[in-house]
Amino acid sequence: MIKLTDVSYTYMTGGPFEKAAVSDVNLTLNNGDFIGLMGHTGSGKSTLIQMIAGLIKPTSGTIEIDGQTLHSKDCNMRKIRFKTGLVMQYPEYQLFEETVFKDIAFGPSNMQLPDEDIKRRVEFAADLVGLAPEILEKSPFELSGGQKRRVAIAGVLAMEPQLLILDEPTAGLDPAGRDEILCKIKDMHRRLGITVILVSHSMEDLANITNRIVVMNHGRVAMHDKTSEIFKKSEELQKMGLAVPQITEICEKLRAAGLPLSEGIYTVEMAKAEIEKVLKK
Amino acid sequence: MFKDITLGQYFPGHSFIHRLDPRTKILAVIIYITSIFCIKSFLGYAVLAAFTVLCVLSSKIPFKFVLKGLKPIMIFVIITAIFNLFLTDGKILVRWSFITITYEGVRLAIFMVLRLFFLVLGTSILTLTTSPIALTDGIEYLLSPLKKVGVPAHELAMMMTIALRFVPTLLEETDKIIKAQTARGADFESGNLINRAKAMIPILIPLFISAFRRADDLAVAMECRCYRGGENRTRLRELKMKKGDVFGWFALVCLVGLIVLANVAYGRINI
Ligand SMILES: Nc1ncnc2c1ncn2[C@@H]1O[C@H](COP(=O)(O)OP(=O)(O)OP(=O)(O)O)[C@@H](O)[C@H]1O
Ligand SMILES: [Mg+2]
Repeated sequence: MIKLTDVSYTYMTGGPFEKAAVSDVNLTLNNGDFIGLMGHTGSGKSTLIQMIAGLIKPTSGTIEIDGQTLHSKDCNMRKIRFKTGLVMQYPEYQLFEETVFKDIAFGPSNMQLPDEDIKRRVEFAADLVGLAPEILEKSPFELSGGQKRRVAIAGVLAMEPQLLILDEPTAGLDPAGRDEILCKIKDMHRRLGITVILVSHSMEDLANITNRIVVMNHGRVAMHDKTSEIFKKSEELQKMGLAVPQITEICEKLRAAGLPLSEGIYTVEMAKAEIEKVLKK
Repeated sequence: MFKDITLGQYFPGHSFIHRLDPRTKILAVIIYITSIFCIKSFLGYAVLAAFTVLCVLSSKIPFKFVLKGLKPIMIFVIITAIFNLFLTDGKILVRWSFITITYEGVRLAIFMVLRLFFLVLGTSILTLTTSPIALTDGIEYLLSPLKKVGVPAHELAMMMTIALRFVPTLLEETDKIIKAQTARGADFESGNLINRAKAMIPILIPLFISAFRRADDLAVAMECRCYRGGENRTRLRELKMKKGDVFGWFALVCLVGLIVLANVAYGRINI
């Protein structure tokens, strides 16, 4: 369980460019959930997840992960970091090794795993993000942007974290690659029972794979609920500069036109089932 | 992580000091620094301190922020003070086994500390109140007489602008890379010296690569806009001395006058 109590974060405290990025966030996230995090640009999403990953210390407030308070005296931050994997926004710049294989292995080898274990994990992670085996021997610097992104994501997945946080992992990837990666992550979530936090601007992606959603607005948590409940509030979302999935919009319009569809439809499958049910009547 | 680095940082504002011509401010700082080293008495430093306080007050920058610039040099200051305190010959004040402290030593130590403080404060006021662009414009202008003897004034100024411009960017980038590698379990704190040096590799390589990429992008972007050096370039904003600058110069002349007086007085009354 991840528990945030009155968490705030201010960049450059005391300076002329002081900026409160996150204010008074109280949030409890359950283990095993697939949580979507959305909010307008600059709403503090990246800041919030960096605090959860223990990379930056809240200016005030506390964060508890499975009963341990981050940055407290009796908390081994390194151990916690091995349990949490964070794929930062635009993670391509973190590549540095001679070969892709070695770069993906950086995380696992920091965990001091035996060699064969590392090898297994690297191959597993590379396969997960759709990297062909021959790429593993190339230098990460001669890859395309999308391939670099995949290597960076694989580098975190190879650590097999219990809490996986992804900050817009698919921004800038082609649609097929995006769906593939998200699908594999969903699959990993189901099989290993890990907790996933996914930051995304794509309502479709969030609707398809998350079961809970947190909405941030100007550094505060505006909503936190089941995915189906969140997308019922299309008006509120629009006020925050966000949207609902296109299929939800269409269903709303159909309902306004007199079709007796139920509320809170957010995937194409749900819409299909619902419309068929209505038409049969 | 790099919150404490204020050196070279610009603090935007519209105060009297902010609006002074950059040339006035650069020359003022040169005079200020020269006078730091010419002062012979505490009275002189009192005058300088009053002047500095007035400058900070009129610049409307919080004192705390200006003083933050002193933090990084603290160790250096302390070491200098200790050396001067113990290694100066003269009239003995305290003697305790092998340690002797002389009257001259105390005096010199205090002077050195004051000099270093004023040095950093004076230059901080300049960079805090002058945007990097204005600063390099001023430097280019002041260096331009040297163009005749082949000093590439414009190119030097441009290089300085670019370097200053990229300091915060690179700091931010370093911060981001450190975070990303920490998230992957990199350990920068423990281990012996060699291990720690090795731990820097995952930070330095991405940093160098991005710096080169940025330099490359910038060069292409500049060429796309037909930049080709200093010949015949005109400016959007010409530097102009204003009324405020006259007042600034007047204040500076007063400062120098008072310091000279203090030095003369020192010859007579010795404080
Ligand atoms: N390193 C930093 N220094 C200063 N201010 C920052 C820094 N990083 C972020 N901010 C500010 O904090 C606020 C929140 O930023 P954050 O990156 O958390 O937003 P975000 O929700 O992730 O946005 P996006 O969707 O664009 O990624 C922004 O207003 C931003 O300007
Ligand atoms: Mg972000």
